[in-house]
Amino acid sequence: MSDNSSDECDTQHVLYKNRPEWSDITPLKQNDGEHPVAAIDYTEEFEDCFDYFRAVVQKKEYSERTLELTKTAASLNPANYTVWQFRREILKALNKDLNEELEYIGKVILKQTKNYQVWHHRRIIVEWLQDPSKEKYLTEKSLSEDAKNYHAWQHRQWVIKTYNLYDGELEYVDQLLQDDVKNNSAWNQRYFVVNNTTGFTQETLNREIDYTLGKIRILMENESAWNYLRGLLLHDKGGLSRNEKVTDFCETFYEQGNRSPFLLALIVDICSEKITNNGGGDGNNVYTSARAKELCNALATQYDTIRAKYWLHISETIENQANEQNSMDESSTTN
Amino acid sequence: MCYEMNQLHLEASESTEIQNLYTSKFWACNFKKDKFLRSNIKMCALPNIEFERDLHRKYLNRFLHHSMPSFLANMDTNRTVLAYFCIAGLDILDDLDKISEERKQQMIDWVYQLQVCNAEELVSGFQGSTTLNTMDNNNQNSTYKWGHIATTYSSLLSLLILGDNLDRVDRKGIVQSLRSLQLEDGSFKGAKEGAENDMRFVFCAAAVSYILNDWSGIDVEKMVDFVLKSISYDGGIGQGPDLESHCGSTFCAVAALALSNNLEKLSKDQFHNLRRWLLYRLDTGFNGRPNKPSDTCYSFWTGGALKILNAYQFIESDDNPQFVLMTQDRYGGFSKWVNSVPDPMHTYFGLAGLSLMNYENLKPLFCELNCTKEVHDRLMTIHNQWS
Repeated sequence: MSDNSSDECDTQHVLYKNRPEWSDITPLKQNDGEHPVAAIDYTEEFEDCFDYFRAVVQKKEYSERTLELTKTAASLNPANYTVWQFRREILKALNKDLNEELEYIGKVILKQTKNYQVWHHRRIIVEWLQDPSKEKYLTEKSLSEDAKNYHAWQHRQWVIKTYNLYDGELEYVDQLLQDDVKNNSAWNQRYFVVNNTTGFTQETLNREIDYTLGKIRILMENESAWNYLRGLLLHDKGGLSRNEKVTDFCETFYEQGNRSPFLLALIVDICSEKITNNGGGDGNNVYTSARAKELCNALATQYDTIRAKYWLHISETIENQANEQNSMDESSTTN
Repeated sequence: MCYEMNQLHLEASESTEIQNLYTSKFWACNFKKDKFLRSNIKMCALPNIEFERDLHRKYLNRFLHHSMPSFLANMDTNRTVLAYFCIAGLDILDDLDKISEERKQQMIDWVYQLQVCNAEELVSGFQGSTTLNTMDNNNQNSTYKWGHIATTYSSLLSLLILGDNLDRVDRKGIVQSLRSLQLEDGSFKGAKEGAENDMRFVFCAAAVSYILNDWSGIDVEKMVDFVLKSISYDGGIGQGPDLESHCGSTFCAVAALALSNNLEKLSKDQFHNLRRWLLYRLDTGFNGRPNKPSDTCYSFWTGGALKILNAYQFIESDDNPQFVLMTQDRYGGFSKWVNSVPDPMHTYFGLAGLSLMNYENLKPLFCELNCTKEVHDRLMTIHNQWS
C-alpha cells in the first residue's frame, strides 16, 4: 500500500499544492460566507488538505492518492464523518485489503479512544470482513487505559452479541472487578453476559447472588454492586423481600452496626414491598412501615443527608401505602 | 456525550499566549491553589467563589465572533453545535441584547447558509460546518452535502434563540428526511450514511419534530419501544439496549418521552427506579454514572432529567452550586472538573446547571429542549402562527 505518507512517523509533511502528482487538481477553497460564526483559524496544512479534499469529493475520485488524502484529513480531524465515509467508498472501489485497514484504524482508535467516528469505521470494516477475531483484543487494550470507556464497551458488546462471542467474557469481567470492584461498566457487562447466555435461572441466580454478596462484603459503600444485586432480584420470584440469603445478609450487617446508605435503602425498599404485598400482616415480620420510617429518618439525618428531602418523601409514601393497606384490610374483615 | 475538548486542549501545541486566552494554564500551574481546592472539595464550607458573569459573557462571545485557535480544528464539523452552546449560554446569562442586531442577523444568515434542502436524496437539514461548501456549490446540492440530525437540532435552536421565526426553514423536507434516519429498532442514526445510531439521535429526532411541530417523520411507537428497551437493570437508561446507564443517554431518553408526550409509558416501578438512579448521581457535584467523578455537564443532564420527572426538588440545596463554581475558570468559562480546561460545552452546561439551582437570576430553562423558557414560549407563539 502506498498510502502511508501521513503515518505518525512521517514528520516531513509536504503540502498537497507542492506535490507534482496533485498538479492536475485545482484546489477548492472553503466558502464560509462573509460573516462566519465560531470560525477556526485553520493551519496551512489543514486548509491545504481540505482544499484538495473538497476538489476530489466533487469529482468522486476513487484512487490511491485520494485514499492517502483521507488519511491526512482524518489525522487533522478524526471527527469528520464525511472523511471516513469517503474513505470507505474508496476502499470499496479499489477493492483494498481490508485487513490493512483494520490494522490502521486500530492504531487510530488507540490514540482517539473517545471518538465516535473511528469506532464506527472499525465496526463497518469488521462487518465487511466478517472477521470479529481481533475485536476483543482491541477493546481490552483500550479498556486497559480506561476501564470505563463507553465507546470500547459499546463496541465490545456489539461484537459479542453479533458474533456470539460470549465465551470467556464472565472471566474477563471477573478480572476487571478484582482490579476495581467499583467498575460499574464491568458490572453492567456481567449483567449483559448472564442475561444473554444462561438467563437468570434459579441456579444462576443463586450463583450470582453469592458472587455479589461476596463483593459487597469487600466494600459496603459500592453503589454498583448493590445495583447489580437489585437487578438480580428483579428475576427472583419472591422479589426483593423473599430471598433469605439477601435478607439474612442485610440483617447480619445491620445488627453488626453497618449503616451503608445502600444497605439501609434496600431494607427500606424491602419494607415497602412487604407492605404492598401482604400489608405487613404476618406476625414476625420485621419489615414494617415503622421500621421503614425509622430508616428513612436515619438516612435523611445521618447517612445520606444530601438526599434528605427524598428520604422524607419516601417515608411519607410508605406510610400512606401502609395506611391504605390497613384500611383495605379492615374493610375486608368487616365485610 | 462529551466532546472531550479538554483532551484537545491538552494535546495542542499552540503558542502559549493564544492558548492561555482559552484555557487556564495559569490556574493549572498554581499548585497551591490546586491543592487547596482539592482538599476542600469534600467539605461543605467552601471559599465563597464569586460568579464571574462578565467573564463568561466574554468567553462565549470570543468563540462566536473571533477565530478559534487551530488546535480546535477537531471541532470543525461541529461548529453549529459550538455556536449553539455559546448562543444558548449567553441567553441564560441574559446577555444576548449586547450583541448588535446586525451581528445577530449575520449569525442567522450563517446558520441558514448551512441548510440543505434535498428532498430527492432525503438529506435535508443543517450541516455542522461549511467544510464541504465552496463558491461553486453555494446553495446547491452536491456530494455529501447532507444535514446531520444533531446539527439540525442545534441550528434550529440557535435560530430561535437569536430571534428568527424559522420562516426560511424547509420544514417539510427536514421531516421527510428524518423518516429515513429511523432504524428498525426505533433508534435514529445521525446522518444518511457513516453515522452511528443511539439515544442521542433519538432525542435530536424528537426535539426537531417538536420544534417543527410535526411528528410525521417519526414512528413514535417504535421510538418509545427503543427507549423502554434501553432501561437498564439499575433503573437508569443507556445509549441502547444492554448498554450501561448514563446520565447523558438518560436525559436524552427522558426528554424524548416528554417531548412526544409519552412519559406515562414508564411503568410505576420504572418511574420510581429512574428517579432514584438519577438522585443517586448527586455526589460532590453530579456524576454521569455510578462510581464516576462529578463533572460539570451532569449538573444539567442529571438535573434536567430530574426536573422533567418532577424530582429535582428532592435534592435542592444551597450547596449544589459549589461544585459548578469550582470548575469556573479565572478567564471565564467552565470546565469538566476542578482545575482543568474550560470549553463552550461545559460552560453552557455549567450555566444551565446553575440555572436549575435558581442561581444568580439566571434565566429559567425549558429542560426538555435545552433552551430557556422564554425561547420555548416564543416557539409556542410561532406554532400558533403556523396553524
